[in-house]
Amino acid sequence: MLDPAFTSSLAQVLAPASLLTDAEDTRPYECDGLTLFRQQPAAVLLPDNEAQVVAILRLCHAAHVPVVARGAGTSLSGGALPAADGVVLSLAKLRRIVAIDPLARTAIVEPGVRNLAISEAAAPYGLFYAPDPSSQIACSIGGNVAENAGGVHCLKYGLTVHNVRKVRAVTIEGDVVEFGSDALDSPGYDLLALINGSEGLLAVITQITVKLLAKPQYAQVALAAFDDLERAGAAVGAVIGAGIIPGGLEMMDQQATRAVEAFVHANYPLDAAAVLLIESDGTPVEVAAEMAEITHVLTASGATEIRVSQDETQRLLYWSGRKAAFPAVGRISPDYYCIDGTIPRAALPRVLRQIEDWSREFALPCANVFHAGDGNLHPLILFDANKPGDKERTVEFGDRILQLCIDVGGTITGEHGVGIEKIGGMCAQFPPVVLERFLGIKRAFDAESLLNPGKGVPTLARCAEFGRMHVHHGELRHPELPRF
Amino acid sequence: MNSATQSPTRPQPEAVTALTARLRSEYGDRALTTHAIREQHSHGEGLADAAMPDIVVFPHTNDEVASIMRICHAARIPVIAFGVGTSLEGHVAALYGGVCLDLSQMNRVLEVNDADLDCRVQAGVTREQLNTELKGTGLFFPIDPGANATIGGMTSTRASGTNAVRYGTMRENVMGLTVVTADGRIMRTGNRARKSSAGYDLTRLLVGSEGTLGIITEIQLRLYGIPESISAAVCQFPDLKSAVDSVIVAMQLGIPVARIELLDDVQMDACIRYSQLTEFAAKPTLCFEFHGTEAGVREQAQMIESIATDHGGSAFQWATKPEERSRLWKARHNAYYAALALAPGKQGFATDACVPISRLTDCVLETQADVATTGLIAPIVGHVGDGNFHLVILFDPANLDERSKAEALAARVALRAIAMGGTCTGEHGIGVHKLDALRAEHGDAIALMQAIKRALDPLNLLNPGKTVPPV
Repeated sequence: MLDPAFTSSLAQVLAPASLLTDAEDTRPYECDGLTLFRQQPAAVLLPDNEAQVVAILRLCHAAHVPVVARGAGTSLSGGALPAADGVVLSLAKLRRIVAIDPLARTAIVEPGVRNLAISEAAAPYGLFYAPDPSSQIACSIGGNVAENAGGVHCLKYGLTVHNVRKVRAVTIEGDVVEFGSDALDSPGYDLLALINGSEGLLAVITQITVKLLAKPQYAQVALAAFDDLERAGAAVGAVIGAGIIPGGLEMMDQQATRAVEAFVHANYPLDAAAVLLIESDGTPVEVAAEMAEITHVLTASGATEIRVSQDETQRLLYWSGRKAAFPAVGRISPDYYCIDGTIPRAALPRVLRQIEDWSREFALPCANVFHAGDGNLHPLILFDANKPGDKERTVEFGDRILQLCIDVGGTITGEHGVGIEKIGGMCAQFPPVVLERFLGIKRAFDAESLLNPGKGVPTLARCAEFGRMHVHHGELRHPELPRF
Repeated sequence: MNSATQSPTRPQPEAVTALTARLRSEYGDRALTTHAIREQHSHGEGLADAAMPDIVVFPHTNDEVASIMRICHAARIPVIAFGVGTSLEGHVAALYGGVCLDLSQMNRVLEVNDADLDCRVQAGVTREQLNTELKGTGLFFPIDPGANATIGGMTSTRASGTNAVRYGTMRENVMGLTVVTADGRIMRTGNRARKSSAGYDLTRLLVGSEGTLGIITEIQLRLYGIPESISAAVCQFPDLKSAVDSVIVAMQLGIPVARIELLDDVQMDACIRYSQLTEFAAKPTLCFEFHGTEAGVREQAQMIESIATDHGGSAFQWATKPEERSRLWKARHNAYYAALALAPGKQGFATDACVPISRLTDCVLETQADVATTGLIAPIVGHVGDGNFHLVILFDPANLDERSKAEALAARVALRAIAMGGTCTGEHGIGVHKLDALRAEHGDAIALMQAIKRALDPLNLLNPGKTVPPV
């Protein structure tokens, strides 16, 4: 419940339709893409412009009310989960494409603009915005920046942080600050990099200048089949080790291809243990040369079959399976849990083998469909939440995978963010000396911890409570604590 | 954001005496207090504003750095990290005395992971040394700021250089760091995974922090496969505008050129004399380098050549053999010394403007006209594919009038770049020289930078007086 005086001061700033306090109206905001956590907020605020964002943050700061910024609500880590006694600040109405500058190859957009809408608006100039998370038709660019979102094309074109020039944001004190610059470099500390991936903990983003790239003239995708999962993993390393950086390098195991084939009929080889999709883009001459090299490396790595798309329809067909993988898996299992660990590529064969072994041990099927070129795993653990014990075993399986990612030199989240989901995992990945620095940075921006409290960075006390979330001989400490 | 940054002060003389005695007993001939060594560590290149440290220590390990840092933390003594002293903005001057940590003996390449295209090096490894040690792996590290700087120094100043247009700057190529914190603890940031969204991006925060947030001792770097084919070409233009316009069109078309370097007529004249490039004329010039497959390189070069021809450029003069290429790029890298040689006895200092590519022609031409009104010699050279260009302004240090003219010109270049949506420092960093320009450019974000400095170095011991203006 909010203090009525505070609510009425909000009503001075926002039109009645933009200030939701009835339980019925705030219900849709109780969770994001991670539906396991739900919490209704005290109010949902839908400002129309930056001035209102400034006014709201000043009021919240003065009244010590927590603020959770929200874009399209597609977060997979609970980044937009509301605070019980706080407000949700939805940026959905800030959705103007302010300017596209084809000469500078930049677009200035508001945070509520959908990822794909940027590329659509840039298309008449032959340009596009490169990072392409699977949710790109729905997710907003503000959320992309907050989570440092990735996607299939990040291997070649970089993550969100590499594709954003400038961010305008409002601090909890209501100051408007610009990070980055229209030029290639910006002096002083790289605050732009800090804002990218800060999960709404440091400031509320109100405007973003993104880089646009020239659309490649031509692209082809090779589909390579392998009769062994480890060999497919090794082939990924061989392609990159040969100095080739493809436009995309994705992997799907048999569990995934079978699910997908039944759904989109992409004509995948179903007897293969794993399939790689490798895209080459550029001028026709470059693509021809690169594709010849890719085919050569794949053959040498033991591919049993290689198909190269011969036209755009075929190329899109091969990709359709990958893009539809999550919903396809959703069709074959009542529930699935998507893991987002990232590892050095060379560790792929070993980690894939281990996941396969654990899948048998836990008797939980696991479909692997992921950004292999980046080493970003997305094991989808299939389970049935209604079956007693399934959920617990799924969590343990997931925790083991993440611990393994840390052990081989990787990280617990490649692109989905920490949010509420991985707050415990942060204690396993980072020692106190690093967590203290994270907390110091948080305090520098938001001393009272009003912005998205309880997410992203755990307090040291919380880590002590979790213990080092280490799975020892299959035993999880503090199994009673929620960590799903 | 209310408590002020601890303002830097010189430590008490007794504290310094006690500290130097302790460091000399622990590190023997690796802890030096001779005047010559302290003088050598009192400045980088560029404008001389030297300030000597009280002692120079040459650590060999992370633990030694951490131990020195802990001692200094306890005694409240400033610490300045030092690579090989090629900084141009006064980054290494020990403004408040203290300990200079010379990391040049931490110069081992610790691991090369060829399958993952990365490596880990100690901070004192120089970029040329790294590439020499990578020979035989088929890999290379592309960032090339000209000087044979250390990787630690390049990381601290977020260096870029001639081929950033294709490979990015240190920002894009540092994957993780080992850092000694202000209170003397060792921490790793980032990891060998290609991407991570766990926690704040400490790696990039440290990259470009100029030794003010932590002492960088090890760097995990991205490496690249040596391209199958490399060739370089030179094209000369009737005037500066057509040269710069050609660059803008090439960038707009997204042609993946590895390097595009601009030299104006004055700079070209200097290079012809200094590096005996007698086959060229003293005209505005673009030097290109293309990386890729043989077919790809040919295709890129044809596209660029036709753009250049449309703008009145000469036919390409090619350098395909490695020795021809290295002669050409060596001449480019020596541009600063070539410029100095135009007027023996004068000093030079470099400006570092970087503007959005669409404003590049305006900025370069206005700057050239501005130089003409001053009567100073100030050749233009630039990594124009990034929108980054430098003036090397020559002045007689004994002539106060000339020095103030030179400084005024540099200030105008910085403000012009900022007014065009650009920055006063594309790659050289802030150091002490650009603190005012940072204020002009980033007024509103400075309070946050100061708060971060306080959070990571509350006692203001790490390279005090640099990078972030005092409150």
